[in-house]
Amino acid sequence: MTTFVTLIILGLLWGGVYLLAAEGLNLIYGVMKVVNLAHGDFIVFGGLLAFSLYGFIGINPLLSFPVTAIVLLAIGAAVQFGILERIGLDRGDAELRTLLATFGLSYVVANTSFLLWGSQFQSIPFLQGFVRAGPIAIPQALLVCSVLAFAVAILVHVWLNYTMLGKSVRAVAQSGLGAASCGLDIVRIRVLAFAIGSAMAGSAGALLISLIPFQTSSGGELTVQAFTLIALGGLGNYAGAFLAAELLGLVEVMVQYYLGTNAASAVIYIVFIGVLIFRPYGLLGRAVRV
Amino acid sequence: MKSIRVSEAVLFVVLFGCGIAVAQLGTGYQAQTLFQMAMMTLLAIGWNIISGFTGYVSFGQVAFFGLGAYLAAITLLNFDVPWYAAAAIAALGAGVLALPLGMIMLRLNGIFFALGMFGLARILQLIANSLDVTGGPMGTTVPVAESPQLTALVAVIAVAVGVLLSHFLSRSRLGLTLMATRDDSVAAEAAGVNTWKSKVAAFCISGCVAAVAGSLYIWNVGYLDPNSAFAGTIELQTVLMVLAGGIGTVWGPVVGGILISLLSTFLWASFPMEQQIILGVLIMFIAIAAPGGLLGELAKRGWLKRQPIWGPPPAVLPQSGSLSAAPEPVQTILLTCDKLGVRFGGVHAVEDVDLEVRSGEMLAIIGPNGAGKSSLFNLMSAFHRPTTGDVRLLGQSIVGRRRYQLARGGIARTFQTSRLFPSLTVWETVLVAASSVCPHRADAVARTAQILDNVGLLQNWNDMPDVLPPGRQRLLEIARALALDPRVLLLDEAMAGMTAQEIARVHAALRAAIERGVAVVAIEHVLPAIAPLAARVQVLDFGKTIAEGIPYDVLNNPTVIEAYMGIEGASA
Repeated sequence: MTTFVTLIILGLLWGGVYLLAAEGLNLIYGVMKVVNLAHGDFIVFGGLLAFSLYGFIGINPLLSFPVTAIVLLAIGAAVQFGILERIGLDRGDAELRTLLATFGLSYVVANTSFLLWGSQFQSIPFLQGFVRAGPIAIPQALLVCSVLAFAVAILVHVWLNYTMLGKSVRAVAQSGLGAASCGLDIVRIRVLAFAIGSAMAGSAGALLISLIPFQTSSGGELTVQAFTLIALGGLGNYAGAFLAAELLGLVEVMVQYYLGTNAASAVIYIVFIGVLIFRPYGLLGRAVRV
Repeated sequence: MKSIRVSEAVLFVVLFGCGIAVAQLGTGYQAQTLFQMAMMTLLAIGWNIISGFTGYVSFGQVAFFGLGAYLAAITLLNFDVPWYAAAAIAALGAGVLALPLGMIMLRLNGIFFALGMFGLARILQLIANSLDVTGGPMGTTVPVAESPQLTALVAVIAVAVGVLLSHFLSRSRLGLTLMATRDDSVAAEAAGVNTWKSKVAAFCISGCVAAVAGSLYIWNVGYLDPNSAFAGTIELQTVLMVLAGGIGTVWGPVVGGILISLLSTFLWASFPMEQQIILGVLIMFIAIAAPGGLLGELAKRGWLKRQPIWGPPPAVLPQSGSLSAAPEPVQTILLTCDKLGVRFGGVHAVEDVDLEVRSGEMLAIIGPNGAGKSSLFNLMSAFHRPTTGDVRLLGQSIVGRRRYQLARGGIARTFQTSRLFPSLTVWETVLVAASSVCPHRADAVARTAQILDNVGLLQNWNDMPDVLPPGRQRLLEIARALALDPRVLLLDEAMAGMTAQEIARVHAALRAAIERGVAVVAIEHVLPAIAPLAARVQVLDFGKTIAEGIPYDVLNNPTVIEAYMGIEGASA
């Protein structure tokens, strides 16, 4: 019983980290209707950057995650302005072309990470202790990172819903043309949205590498994971993504414990294919707007 | 029938002649380089079939490459068979497995399909990791070819077969339906295309080709492990080759295959670590600047342009044609709507509509904006499922029938905003519909020519639809519907935006159809556009029938005037 309760708590905590990793993709999809296939590689890049900051300067990931977020913010803005805006998001073949462009980008980012950090698995040994509440023991790092991840995700959510700029982002998400005719500079807003989405990937990477080791080629898997979560939640639906992240956290922790690591690594793909086939519009039915 | 151009034939002979010469006379290193090039080109040809011709971009074509490699390896390890038997089994096995996989994956589209295929490749890789017979993650050795020259020769021949395959595919009935589906699957269904069957067929063919490449790969290296059989680099190169050469063209994968292979070889030697950055940047560049690739740029200058399928039109037009000619002696009731209704959420778009469509006459359905006219059409052509009531064609309910079946079975329709196929010519657009109901090619060609002539579009046969003025685009849509030789023709505001001359053309074509016994149902905002032809008029408002009868009576009906003008208009 204690084990089971522990597993549930662990699953819910993992869900928080997964949520942050996925929400950036959700924001970008919501605004641009573009799935950034390099999202996972952004997460890896952010994580490995935090790894270097820890290794060389000794900044722990709790302090460095804003730094990785800012670096990715800049990269994200550059990508949107330099690549996606060049394609023209309103054209008929835009979906295909952005898909291919971000497909190419994912290799560029992964290879850059490889050049900088090599192909070994890296991790940040950090807060190795446990928080104990009676018989239940939770790793400190997971608890801290999960809380932080939730905090960032909620912060972005609040920004989207309660600030003028956040509302403009949502306006562009719902109708670019409508937003433009209200006088919004939609290019600027799209760049901002892509930048914030990428920054969320960067911060998620810093937190994630404190919990599990990853390598430069883990990006594809992380992209699939993030995409699965937002698809499961209903593309562009934040409450749905939250639900999906918690669900995936629980399932993965359970499978890992009862069936082993190999089975756990297959979970994400099986859930992914299952979602695509049975719930392409997500758990909560049709996607609602951001 | 001239199906192969001289320029293409020369290109084919020169390229493959060179390939065979290098394979036979070259050094081991040259042969190896050629093999890599040919194997990747073959993979690119396979990817182009599903992602280029069919429009389903896949980021997991390597799934079938790996599948082919593993099927061949397992065959070679367990049975004492030569390499070509293993390759055949790999191709066959992958084709068979592609059928259920395609039926699952092709329910998705766009990004979902692309990433779904990526996930499929990863799942297969995990399965390969746990396969003991092939050494799990460590891999296994398999019987290797006698010489690199032999593998290079076989690979070059395989590419030649692949080119012929995509050449004939692109000029076949299947190819035509694939391109129509890619351009607009809804319009393709309305033109009688079983889009589902075509897509699944393309998926299987594409998987077979990739599996052959995979089986040649292990035969060449004599070794197999999950990481190299499902490598992301292979996927990257495949996609880039097709993009660079020209997506959706016969020669694109070959041209791109040669260029990108040469580039890769150079990069391996000079920038082994930065390879993926350079290739990735190249993909981004093509996506931004030249999505049509090299052949797309050449086609803009008129070189190696795609030839029209089954064209040009015959010089002597068939006089009688293949359209059903004999009008039925008595007017029969073809289509009935019985208490038909549909709701979207709380809105009754159509409510309790009764309607009868008789052979050899035109029924006009008019009504103000939002009256439910288009919804009614969607019910009559099985695009929507009614919430209440029934639609019957010759007494048989059409509810739940597939759209393409209905299109082939007698109900053809046009759309309120024209839905043409952007990459098909005028000739091919009508041919899509004609070939979906004519089992013989000659009949389909004759009918297409005859119908284009009837509506006055024959001189435009080789134009792309986007260069036609809007009125002629509508005309083309009507021609496409007529090519199905329908019993009932549903026209959704077909005359909107036409010049008087074009309307006269349409009237003439419709009159001929009506004389043949076709029942025409036309939705219009305004009656004058169809009044000369309409025998009866039915007026809808708020989803209900508010008047019906002959045009003169209906136009003077106070309820109708009120619906259009408001209360004051009626009393005035």
